[in-house]
Formats: sequence, C-alpha cells, structure tokens
Amino acid sequence: MNYDYTVIGGGVSGMTSALILAKQGLSVALVEQSGQLAPTIRGFTKKGLFFDTGFHYTGGLGAGEPVDLFFRYLGLSDALEKVAFREDAFDSFRCLEPPFVFRFPCGYDRIRERFYEVFPDECEAIDTYLSAVREQYHSVPYVNLDMSEVSAGFSTVHGPTLQEFLDRLTNNRLLKCIFSMHCFLYGVAPDEVSFANHANVAGSYYESVNGISGGGLKLTEIFEEQLEKAGVHVFRGQEVTGMLLSNDGAFCGLTLKDGTNVSAEGCISTIHPHRLLEIVPDSVFRPAYVSRLNELEETASACILYAVCSGPIEDLVGSNIFIFPEPDFTCFYKNAAVEKRPMYITAAGGKHDGEKAKHGFIAICPMSKEQTKPLVDPVSQERSANYKLLKEEMSEKMVRSIKASCPEIAEKIIDITCATPLTLRDYTNSPFGSLYGVKHKIGQYNPMPVTRLKGLFLAGQATTAPGIMGAMMSGFLACGTILGHEKLQKELKQCRPEG
Amino acid sequence: MNDQEIIDLINTTLANEFELNIDDMVPGAVLKDDLGLDSLDRVDMVIVLEKAFSFKIREEEAIREIHTLGDIHNFVIHKKQEME
Repeated sequence: MNYDYTVIGGGVSGMTSALILAKQGLSVALVEQSGQLAPTIRGFTKKGLFFDTGFHYTGGLGAGEPVDLFFRYLGLSDALEKVAFREDAFDSFRCLEPPFVFRFPCGYDRIRERFYEVFPDECEAIDTYLSAVREQYHSVPYVNLDMSEVSAGFSTVHGPTLQEFLDRLTNNRLLKCIFSMHCFLYGVAPDEVSFANHANVAGSYYESVNGISGGGLKLTEIFEEQLEKAGVHVFRGQEVTGMLLSNDGAFCGLTLKDGTNVSAEGCISTIHPHRLLEIVPDSVFRPAYVSRLNELEETASACILYAVCSGPIEDLVGSNIFIFPEPDFTCFYKNAAVEKRPMYITAAGGKHDGEKAKHGFIAICPMSKEQTKPLVDPVSQERSANYKLLKEEMSEKMVRSIKASCPEIAEKIIDITCATPLTLRDYTNSPFGSLYGVKHKIGQYNPMPVTRLKGLFLAGQATTAPGIMGAMMSGFLACGTILGHEKLQKELKQCRPEG
Repeated sequence: MNDQEIIDLINTTLANEFELNIDDMVPGAVLKDDLGLDSLDRVDMVIVLEKAFSFKIREEEAIREIHTLGDIHNFVIHKKQEME
C-alpha cells in the first residue's frame, strides 16, 4: 500500500485534512483507531432520543463565514441543513445569586444593543470589548482570507489574559461574567486564557450561531460520503503503532497494530500530542520538543448528564442556558463543589416529529483534574472500585443543582445517563478525558503544523483551537503548510456565495 | 549569578536539550549554520531559557534578531540585569 499522504486520526481535523489533500488529486489513507470515524461526535440514542456528544452548535456557519466556506469547499454543504438558533437569545446567562438573566441575541449589533439596554452605565466597556473581540477574530488566518503571512505569532501565548483585559474595562462583576461565559466553549478559565484566544472562539459566535439538522452524527455521515467519493482509503479499527523513516531520516510510512505497513510520502497527525510521542521513533525529536509536548496542559474535563424528559423544554428551543451560582467569573474549572460550579444546558434531539417528538437535554458541569482522580485506579488507570458510586453521586448532585436553578426543566426528567471524565477519555483517546484536549493558555506554546521530522505535519485542536471550527481550521492550516496557504485561501474565496 | 555562570548555564542547558556538543558552544557559533538550530527550534529555545532562568520571554522582535549563541548570552544577561 503506497499513498501520497496518510492522516492519523479520523476526527473532524483528520477528515478535513484527508479531504483537502484528496481534492488536490493526492492519494490519501486515513487511519482511525476506533471502529467508526469521529466517535466523539457521533452521539448515541437512548429511549428513542438522539444525544449529541460533541457538536451542539457552532459560530462561523453563517453564509460566507469560515465554517460555511470550509463546508462548501469540502463538498459538504449541499447535504447539510443548517438550524439557526433563536435570534433574540441563542444563549442565556442565568445567575442564581443575585438572580439575573441575560439573553445573548445573534449578531454584533443586536448584542451591543442588548448590553446597552441592560448595562446603560457600561457603554464604553461594552464598545471596547466587542470591538476588540471582532478585530482579533478577523485577524485569524483562514477567518481572514487576505492575510499574506499565516502565523499565529506570540499574541495568543502572551497577555493580556481575558481576566486582565476585563478587569481594566469595568468593575461590574455581572458584565465581566457574561463577557467570559463562553469560556465553556474552549475549557480554559479567564485568568489563564489570553484575550486573543477567547476572542478567536467567542467572536465566531457573536457573528452567527447555527446547529446542523441531525447534529454531529449527520456531519460525520456527510464527511464519510465525501471521503468515499474522493477516493480516500479509510482504515477503521486500526491503531497506528509506529512510523517508518527513510534512509535520510524522512517520514515514509506508518506501521499498524496488525503489522500492516502503510507507505506514504507525508503524514498529518491529528491525534493528541502525547499519543504522537508514543509512535514517533525516539531519535526524531529533540529533548526540548519532547518535554514541550509532554508538558502541555489539558483543558478541564466534565461530568455530563443526558436526560430524557416528559415534554418539550421551551427555554431550550434554539437556545442554551449557562448557569452561574454567583457572578464569579473566576469560578470556571476550579475545585469547587458541584453546586458552586457553572453548568451548560442544551437541548437533545433536534428532530421535531410532531406528537411523536422525544424531548431531553444535555447538561455539562466542568471538573478539574483533581476532582477526576478518585474515579481512576492509580495503578491500572482503569475505573476505581468506587467509580460507580461516585458516578451516581455526581449525577444526583447535578440533578439537585438543575432543580435549584431550572426547576421547570428538572421536573420533566424521566431518565438520566451520566458520562464521566473516563467516558470522555475512552472516546477521545486523550490521556485525561479533557473536554477540549490540550489547553490554549497564556505561557503555553502549543505545537505548530511543521515538525522536525520531514514529511510529518500536525493538525487537531491542540495546534489551533477546539470545536468544529478549530478542528477544521487546523486541517486547513496543516494542508496550507503543505500546499501553500495562498493557494488554499484563493480556492476558499472562490467558494464564497454570490451576493 | 555572574555573567560567566549565566553563560555556562545557557551552554549546558542548550547542549542537553538540543543534543549539541558542548565544545561547539562558543559565542561566535551561528545558531542555524553551526549548531543546526533553525526557526523550528526558536519556540523550544524560548521555553528552555524560560525554565532555566525562571523568567518569561515576551520580546518577540528581539528573539527574531538573535543569530548567534553570543546573541543569546547577551539577551539573557541583559534580561537578568533588568530583573534585578
């Protein structure tokens, strides 16, 4: 078996990378360890209700926006049906003490107006924040397709942190908490994330908010169709165990667990950087780079509830709820008790079958690494003896917390399934079961697409950003490094919708 | 820490972390041509120096201007002086 390129990891980054390369006429093999592509976002069905596990909504999918262009470029658009979120409230911020609700409308202008109405004394802070977010977001490569130099620079690694930025703007705790609530979407606390990285994610949602009919499962199925059409050879259920090097030390292939060698000129690895180190021959990377990859910090993990409900939940139709026990924007991902932690609630399902419609929700409560420890047996790294008990306890605490904050939702619960950080670990193949893999935080230099091993390139959210947009963008950045950014950017521009 | 101690720590740290021969670590050594440290190694050099000297390097422009091992010595000595 001989290919131009191999791609390791069949998640969104890997499928995107494989499709881009195949579109250029290159022969591509995509290797996924799980029996199915994109196991993290395929979701599952319980009692007839579909629960999305990795893709709830995205920014950047409005017509002509980055994700929309990526979908068009890869041939995914025609089969996808966008589901717009509520224009007057795609996300609701609910503070318990003091009781306070803020509804995020769609689009910068509406968001600005809403903030002006609710915080009339904070117009300057609101203007400064929103302008800075928009400017930063539009300076991101592949968001801005006219950038001549594609480089992340130091701005995302150095300050200011989001917290420092907001502390300079205002003393209003509620306002700062609302500005920073989308930390949930990348899993890093405001005192650790750079303002730039916050803006890169939040900025996309401030422009437009969409889901996809059928969710992550549908997205995966459409990817699979296109991969087949493009002639990408997909290896499912195959673990990569090693890399082959040519006599001059360049990448020349992969070894799979069953002993198969897959020869190729080049490779894009989209797996967790720690896992990459397990398959790259020892002599390839220098100690400094190995330490850097090994020491990359992970985002927080989470306890996730999947609830089947007796009837529709009005507040979750085209809208999500962010619960904050108090307006403390430093409470993200700290070792606080469940009832003191923020929570994110989104609707399950998404298909409306009239009277037969099933209803439910997904609630996500962040957990720190420290809080995850009792779940794991320190020797075997498998589930500890107390695992089941602890899981039940967490599940009960989350239900109690939802009862306190959203009684109208809690009273409809008829069935609960709980996922722990270990569930996430097993599905995402990440060492600790973090929600979003490697952190993007101040002072941490995440790996770039180019590596010291000739022919080996990196993509995946560790290199760029989390979410569908971050994952897809990482594929474009890695492939742009191989094919030329100018060429890819030009081809993307040609996909812009007319008008 | 005097200047010579700083220089020695830089040389041994870089030699270990980038698998270089300590005898090649002379001030005039050009990073790219003599030590094989190219743009791909820049970020790792920054991290290694940050760890060794417990400071944060934010001078992106200054880092780009570094071409020889002697430039690194001077950069770190200057930065240590600034911190005192």
